[in-house]
Amino acid sequence: MPIEIPKDKWNGKVRTINLGATAAEGGTRAKVITVGGETSMPYLHFEAPTPNTPLIAVEIKSRKPTDWSPLLAEAWGEAMNNPAAWAKAAEAAGAEMLILWLTLEDTPADAVSAVKAVLAASGLPLAVFGPGQAEKDNDLMVAVAEAAKGERLLLGICEDKNYRTIVATAMANGHLVNARTPMDVNLAKQLNILITDMGLPADRIIMDPTVGALGYGIEYGYSVMERLRLAALQGDSMTQFPMLVTVGFEAWKAKESKVGEGVPASWGKWEARAINWEITTATALIESGASIVVLRHPESVKRVKAAISELMTA
Amino acid sequence: MYIIGENIHIISEKVKEALTNRDREFFMDLAVRQVEAGAKAVDINLGPRKKDWAEVFPWVVEAVEAVVDVPLSIDTTNVDGMEAALKTIKKNQPILNSTSAEPERLEKIPALAKKYGAKIIALTMGTSGIPVEADARVEIAVGTLIPHLMEIDFPMENLIIDPLVLTTSGCQQYCPQLIETVRMLKYAWDPAPMVSVGLSNVSNAVPNDNRPLINRVYLAMLMGVGLEMMIANPFDEKQNNVIKWIETRDTSTPLARVYNKIAERTEAGEQPAPEDFDMTDPEQVDIWKTTQILLNNVIYADAYLAN
Repeated sequence: MPIEIPKDKWNGKVRTINLGATAAEGGTRAKVITVGGETSMPYLHFEAPTPNTPLIAVEIKSRKPTDWSPLLAEAWGEAMNNPAAWAKAAEAAGAEMLILWLTLEDTPADAVSAVKAVLAASGLPLAVFGPGQAEKDNDLMVAVAEAAKGERLLLGICEDKNYRTIVATAMANGHLVNARTPMDVNLAKQLNILITDMGLPADRIIMDPTVGALGYGIEYGYSVMERLRLAALQGDSMTQFPMLVTVGFEAWKAKESKVGEGVPASWGKWEARAINWEITTATALIESGASIVVLRHPESVKRVKAAISELMTA
Repeated sequence: MYIIGENIHIISEKVKEALTNRDREFFMDLAVRQVEAGAKAVDINLGPRKKDWAEVFPWVVEAVEAVVDVPLSIDTTNVDGMEAALKTIKKNQPILNSTSAEPERLEKIPALAKKYGAKIIALTMGTSGIPVEADARVEIAVGTLIPHLMEIDFPMENLIIDPLVLTTSGCQQYCPQLIETVRMLKYAWDPAPMVSVGLSNVSNAVPNDNRPLINRVYLAMLMGVGLEMMIANPFDEKQNNVIKWIETRDTSTPLARVYNKIAERTEAGEQPAPEDFDMTDPEQVDIWKTTQILLNNVIYADAYLAN
């Protein structure tokens, strides 16, 4: 007897967003990558096709980080000393997008030269994030946005505190913004309203709902993302944005990734555990609707890519 | 609508200052003005007053009772303070605000209310907090609150159940459930218990400009399911209009029609529909958007009216 699978039919659709601009669009990227466009809950292929594959972005820093795990330092080696070399290594490891995370030590001139070096070294679409202090982010992002005019960079961190400056410079210089809110559907929607009210076209917003790693609040992030996607499908225009999640940043903070000694033997090998932490966090959040996952370890890139490929064909 | 005036509340800076100065005139004036504006009882919430309850509660009760002739609602978590107030009240049957289903409060406060012949507001909240689902809140009322009151021979006509309104800003999923809780409570017991809510809680943490609209629209929905008592601001004229329009089924103006329609739809277990509103009228569009927030159909954001 044939069984009919019940299907949801939604009116709403996540916006389709293009990242990066080629020479034809006024930038220098090798190609444009598209995210979003979903018309169902994630990967319910029997309801609707998943139009765009989720994207793996690799996080690189403008200066060699001093607080990253030695496991990551080992994996990237010398490349970490130089953002251009790191960008190339990340692309070689399978990155489909790069996130250049600037630091508090960077001056606007440092930031601009790091961004230019990365743009020259790799043709991947690029996101540039400030260190996360509103004033400093404003200083750095304005300089970066002007210097990379037309590249359709994704600029962050665009928050409630500082969205005006970053949105204004994104509008003036043809970039996108990464709208970040602290794990709350109401605040996420509110920031999107504020940003579009300023006049930034809605096809230039990615939302970053903030997530926690496995064991550190992943379920809260997951539920917020699920709720935002449901609202988007129900037709709430100000939630219809693809989502970016900073998985590497969260997963490598977890004790299970961070600590190699003095933990129970049953925890297994440090490196395998740390990488698994990043992969598990990433795949769970992809399944809750993330369009861009930002990773740190090259092995995670490989294995999350395999998982995505299975999800897309399942 | 039986409004328990909410304005003597320690959260207000003016009230705080007047209490510090023992400004008797201030409290008398605020009580009189609330009653003149239509309040049928006056709530007095000065906090727990852990140090000076023995002096403060009788002081304020005496001042307020000297000028108004309505019941006073003693709104505090301090049981000793409640009793001090009860001993002072002379004119009308007081209201104790409140007990919950938490064992410690349930043991003390209904007994106190019984001793002084007071009404009691009982919250549908147990030790594990406020449940989201309507069923679970009704269960606290019929499974814990009412049985305990019956056990101590508490006169049921003195019971007021408060199913706890939570804010649309952050607790949005509770808003439609509260409406259903009020509906169900009306059938939970025979005769139906009185149900009261703290209306303005629905707009806690909402920017001030939007609070009255959210309160009004929610009020229309709650009147649709039979709400007849609330702790609220009696000075809100637009809110008072909504009460009057729904109570008298006045549909002589577009706004009166819209609020009545919201109440009717809710009464029928339906949701307001776009065709109930004149979408060329910006005021009605805002009301429509507010219904969607309150029914949890659209995610709340501070700027939801601009969306």
